[in-house]
Amino acid sequence: MHYWSQPMADINADAGTYARATRSLAEIAQPFAALYRAFWTLESLPAETLELCRLRQAQLLGSDLAWRHEQFGLSAQQREDLKHWPSSPVYSDAEKACLEFTEIHAMDARAITDAQADAVKQHYGDVGLVALVQALGVFDAVTRLGLIWDLETLELNAS
Amino acid sequence: MSIKPRVQSPRSDTGNLIRDSALGLVPETLPHYLQLTVAIWDKGPLTPAEIELARLRNAGHVGCVMCQAVRYDIAVEDGLSEEVVSSMRAEDGGLTARQQSIVRFVDHYLHNPSKPDPELQTALDEQLSEVEQVHLALLMAYFNGFSRCAVALGGMPDSMPRMEISVPR
Repeated sequence: MHYWSQPMADINADAGTYARATRSLAEIAQPFAALYRAFWTLESLPAETLELCRLRQAQLLGSDLAWRHEQFGLSAQQREDLKHWPSSPVYSDAEKACLEFTEIHAMDARAITDAQADAVKQHYGDVGLVALVQALGVFDAVTRLGLIWDLETLELNAS
Repeated sequence: MSIKPRVQSPRSDTGNLIRDSALGLVPETLPHYLQLTVAIWDKGPLTPAEIELARLRNAGHVGCVMCQAVRYDIAVEDGLSEEVVSSMRAEDGGLTARQQSIVRFVDHYLHNPSKPDPELQTALDEQLSEVEQVHLALLMAYFNGFSRCAVALGGMPDSMPRMEISVPR
């Protein structure tokens, strides 16, 4: 159904959503949403680790929407300690390696060092590093789109 | 920026730029990257030359040497000239109002991701339809992540010659 033939009640129901913002271009919005969803069932990287990285990105980009969004369930302590992850005991060495990589990637991907990349590979291998880099790019994009389109939810259900 | 590749690309030689690159290592995401790449180029209202202008603007900000050296052949065939690319880089006023609006959005996406202020939104609305603005946002979502991926995985030389490639299909 085209958006212009939707009943007004349906349109209002999805106001502030990705589906609404992209309703005129589902042929691109749907594959992008599908790519985002693919990261949450990876063999090479735990969803829990990716959620920590997504939330740290949200903090760095200053997106309250992305911070409030819960893509994967974490403990309250894992969320609370995220700003101070280097000194927190709630994260594993593998998670800390990914969080360090995430922070540098968010600021300037050119500044990532071989040692930071190797630290991720030590836990997750080449495939895990590639998956992390891919995920960071897509998560960053979702956060930016949420800010630019002033979305109310980050559920990526394309129309 | 590391010139040493940080991962080993797959040993495949399918001729598909994405499948044969490090992106091909992650089986769960590969089909989605392939589908999205084609959709970005084929399914939106912006022309290939306009898509390329946005892609190259992003590449310059990210500092991806490879992304800056590449020209997609369909964009060149569509009329993207090196004069336009130079004007975009030099900000010398040589772009059309429509091209300028595309560049302004790219800069906004990268440097100030937020709801565009009324002045910027008016400037965008004067040059781009609603669906064109959605296309522009989604192609930035794709290309920015892609270029940062290329940089983060290392193996990037200090400079590369200009080269034409085709959209991997």
